[in-house]
Amino acid sequence: MSENALPKSWNKETKPHKFCPGCGQALALKILGHAIDELGIAQNLIYATDIGCSLLSWDMFNVDTIQTHHGRTVPLCVGFKKAKPGAIVLGLTGDGGGYAIGAQHLLNSVMRNDPITIILINNANYAMTGGQLAPTTLLKQKTTTTPKGREIIQGRPFKGPEMLAQISADDTYIARGISTNYQQLLNMYKKAISNQIDGRGFSFMEVISMCPVNWHTNAQESLDFSEIEMAKVYPLGEIKVPKALT
Amino acid sequence: MPTKIVLAGEGGQGVQSVAKIIAIAAQKSNKYSSYLPGFGVEQRGGVSLAYLQISSHPIPYPQFEKADIVVCFCSRAVSTVKKFIQKNSLFIYDDSAIDNKSLEKIKSDVTEYLAIPAQKLGREKFTSKVANIILLGGIVAHLKEINFQEFENSILEEFASKIEKKPEIKDLNLGALKAGLEIAEKFDKSKHLFEGVTPPEIKTAFSKDKISWTRFPEYCKGCGLCIIKCPVQALKFSNEIGFLGLPMPEVDIQKCIGCKKCMQICPDGAIKVEINP
Repeated sequence: MSENALPKSWNKETKPHKFCPGCGQALALKILGHAIDELGIAQNLIYATDIGCSLLSWDMFNVDTIQTHHGRTVPLCVGFKKAKPGAIVLGLTGDGGGYAIGAQHLLNSVMRNDPITIILINNANYAMTGGQLAPTTLLKQKTTTTPKGREIIQGRPFKGPEMLAQISADDTYIARGISTNYQQLLNMYKKAISNQIDGRGFSFMEVISMCPVNWHTNAQESLDFSEIEMAKVYPLGEIKVPKALT
Repeated sequence: MPTKIVLAGEGGQGVQSVAKIIAIAAQKSNKYSSYLPGFGVEQRGGVSLAYLQISSHPIPYPQFEKADIVVCFCSRAVSTVKKFIQKNSLFIYDDSAIDNKSLEKIKSDVTEYLAIPAQKLGREKFTSKVANIILLGGIVAHLKEINFQEFENSILEEFASKIEKKPEIKDLNLGALKAGLEIAEKFDKSKHLFEGVTPPEIKTAFSKDKISWTRFPEYCKGCGLCIIKCPVQALKFSNEIGFLGLPMPEVDIQKCIGCKKCMQICPDGAIKVEINP
């Protein structure tokens, strides 16, 4: 366990960061910072962000950062990796960017088994624009565009890692973690990044997050919703692990 | 020339409500008015800014660079409004909420000022939620071209749905408006120095034999996750506030077992727990 409150790879000049109080994404990024520290890869890392709340992290880390149009983080990462195969490319996207507007890019990149790492934050709504229905919104969950709760006609919650596991190559790392489980998430990050460092193939992680502002929950209710309600629909754990990492 | 007013405060302090109330009151008094909200990218926790113009002629453009009246609700907003201050701008501020250190930055620019202890007065006489309306009272004192009655009407209109649920809100807000106006009319610049509050020293470090527990007010957003995650209920909210103006947790160090759960769960890195060998 890291002994620092703030990860060394965080840019201290831009702290406090711009995430809301109690944000699960900020927590996920803090743990990512600790993973980067422990692997010692900050010098060689390229960090790519999407549009949405993930954009708020553009100055979070003391690493080179790139940013692109909504949902195009995956092709941006692939392009960078093709141009500089030595770099470690880490993309951060939200559930809107990864599962809605950018779903085809994610899918095709997994099919090609591009050696990049993608981290997707699942907070069950479109948080930056005010909490609209996302592909990952739970059934019966109220959002600003589903005031009576999501109904089955609007589709079922999108299980990205499970879907990708069906079409991916054997040496793909796919896992789902939760922002509130420090040790598990730290280990998953380290595996996902080292899968890329070792040149095996695509690594994908979904992180279940919290959005107290748009869920209209206090601290206890946010924890309950993400750790109990969401974890029921989105089972936690490693879904596909390359043989070399087991 | 339109009267240009810029208002700035923490998101949630009611900056936008005040601007809207003035804009509506001006229109009802047969004036032209324009109101433009300006936010950062944050949903919560950013400085909230409002551009307001009142004129007896049509207003060509809603934004401006220099203001006639600058209204500042909180310490963090001081550096945001600095660029709007020009010679003879009236600087209206809450001297019970803004600290001296922030005011020091603009001391050389400000010539005219009006200090209203809105937070303090709100806490003592009304509720702290009407602090924005008390400051509005201060602005009203300098907008003589608008009928006072129209301000009261547009307050009632703005809070109509809240008043329906809680009728006492009506008297609280109208009382706050009059209280602010009264202070502004009695205000004598020669007897009042340009100063705010000196923030109290906050205890950040707690320790017992091997465990040292530190909190960082400059990072703490007061989300309360650490309090819930503590397995021995050693944490609770204290009276001290973090940089967003929300209460910070404090530790009962005698109960603390040094498990570091609070440090792990903090999204802002505002808690540090160290076990000394």
